[in-house]
Amino acid sequence: MISIKNLKVNVGNKEIIKGLDLKIAKGEIHAIMGPNGSGKSTLSYALAGKDGYEISGEVKFKGKNILDLNVEERAHHGFFLAFQYPVEIPGVNTNNFLRASLNAIRKSNSKKELNAVEFLKLVKEKTKELKIKEEMLSRPLNVGFSGGEKKRNEVLQMALLEPEFVILDETDSGLDIDALKIVSNGVNALRDSNRSFLIITHYQRLLNYIKPDFVHVLSHGKIVKSGDWKLAIDLENDGYGQFLN
Amino acid sequence: MNDINQFKIDFEKYTKNKLFKENLSKRTEAFNRFLTKGFPNSKQEHWKYSPLNQDLTKFKEVKFVENSDKSIDEGYFEKFDHYKIILKDGILVSESLLTEGLTIAKCDTSSFFDVKKNPILDFNNAFYIPSYKILVAKNVKIQKPVVIYNFISASFNGNNINLKCNILLDDNSFLEVYDKNIFLNNDFVFFTSNLEINISKKAVLKKYSLNSNSKNNTIYNFAKVDLDDYAFFENFNLSHNFNSCRDEFVVNLNGIESKGSLNNVQHLSRNCYHEIKWEVLHNEVNTTSKQYVKSVLNDQSTAAFQGKIYVNSIAQKTDGYQLSKALLLSDQSKFLSKPELEIYADDVKCSHGSTSGNINKDILFYLRSRGLSEKEAKNLYVEGFLADVLEKIENKEINKLFIEKLREIHEYQ
Repeated sequence: MISIKNLKVNVGNKEIIKGLDLKIAKGEIHAIMGPNGSGKSTLSYALAGKDGYEISGEVKFKGKNILDLNVEERAHHGFFLAFQYPVEIPGVNTNNFLRASLNAIRKSNSKKELNAVEFLKLVKEKTKELKIKEEMLSRPLNVGFSGGEKKRNEVLQMALLEPEFVILDETDSGLDIDALKIVSNGVNALRDSNRSFLIITHYQRLLNYIKPDFVHVLSHGKIVKSGDWKLAIDLENDGYGQFLN
Repeated sequence: MNDINQFKIDFEKYTKNKLFKENLSKRTEAFNRFLTKGFPNSKQEHWKYSPLNQDLTKFKEVKFVENSDKSIDEGYFEKFDHYKIILKDGILVSESLLTEGLTIAKCDTSSFFDVKKNPILDFNNAFYIPSYKILVAKNVKIQKPVVIYNFISASFNGNNINLKCNILLDDNSFLEVYDKNIFLNNDFVFFTSNLEINISKKAVLKKYSLNSNSKNNTIYNFAKVDLDDYAFFENFNLSHNFNSCRDEFVVNLNGIESKGSLNNVQHLSRNCYHEIKWEVLHNEVNTTSKQYVKSVLNDQSTAAFQGKIYVNSIAQKTDGYQLSKALLLSDQSKFLSKPELEIYADDVKCSHGSTSGNINKDILFYLRSRGLSEKEAKNLYVEGFLADVLEKIENKEINKLFIEKLREIHEYQ
């Protein structure tokens, strides 16, 4: 599904990701854990195509090097980044944004765009599954949303856009236990044999709810250890100290 | 340079026309004041950002020819239920105010007001056409908005129109007025309007203006609003590609707990230049005011905002707020901002803020990561940036109309 080879990411003169290799097969869930400053968020932004990075290496996805594509083309191709801090956009109605986004992706894949009625029907189903109040969708995008609402909105977008590769960037940050469960259930409902996930997190807590197939430790811009989900428990017990030197 | 002698000849000519005959002595006083001051220039503090300074140097004569064709293109009428006042080239053509407690009469021109340092008002007072006066009776709540269709037709054969209008609300009444300006002329027209509003105790006036695509006009809109105890005035203005315009409000919060809310959103391209000058005077205790200006500026367009909050020494517990935000979408666009606070009371809450800049990159990244192209993302953001203010319009029909206008603007971008 996705194969990352010798990925290097520079911000200005500073090398943040220093030659990262990773393969994620169809249907697999991988978690990347690491201390502050290890390059986790830079990795997620670089994969999603944010400007301002100097990138070398290769990221193959469905046979294409996605580093050659711009942000929206990656989204059209099936990439999705669930943001750690979803931005607030005053005046942009959440429903309108969701429909514009879904139709942009459908259009790029030569699918028929949904009209307002068809979209409303679809979004109603999805909000029910995620226990999102419909009232939230008539508000401006993320404006005044609680931390939990913002993350649920990210999962709702994921459910609507049905991407093939999802990066969850510290989706657990700022969530209380109940919100964490709802968000995790939303993600778990989207697990299937054709969809892969890369979960980026500091803590093992999220991984209790979304069980990964593999766990990797990122330190100083490189994967320094890989293992199964038990590695996350070891990290919770022993901390990241052993990887910092 | 303007030719003062030519203006004197033109004034003589005007006073012989039946349209301009009344109040001759007051007109002459105003004209003489105007002659002493001349048109404004950028050396005057109140006019230093004004597009009118430049435009009016080209104004060589004052010419008005009454249009014999009184027909109106009804295609411009709004679809929702409303009362109509129709002006064509400055002349009141027809009106349909068919409800108890709402009347229209000829403008009351006995109350000439002289705003210091304002030569354009003197000009207006000299050359005005008496236009409408709207009256709402005590305790009457008018359910449907009054739409004022202000046509300047393609066949108008003059270069100047000056209107004088009144809106008077008696105690505990309610009215919504929507000014729809339809400028169809291609030649230069200098248009001024001078509106006097009086809102009595507990009365509410909500006013909306839509100004779009004026190709070759220089426009000056002046309104003075006086509010009595517990009265409320709210104004929303949407400007799109207005060639050259100054919008000016003087809002006097004269009654206790009176409130004023001024809102302007604008989307300008090409060389369009829009200046806003607002002055809110808190003259009584517990008065509240809000001023919001949002600007989206493309190409070589310019927007200027001079907003003032004045607090009289007796106006304790004043709450005054002012915010202006501008999105500069090209390197050549300009936003000029001059917030002013003049406070003589010691127990007040007043704040102001002004920002200008480009579209936030993190927002664009977020929207594009959801599949929207850069252009679609920018349009969605810009539309939201302006809609944020317009969403506060409580009247559903007018809200829909203004939001649709924003969408339309983007479709043609």
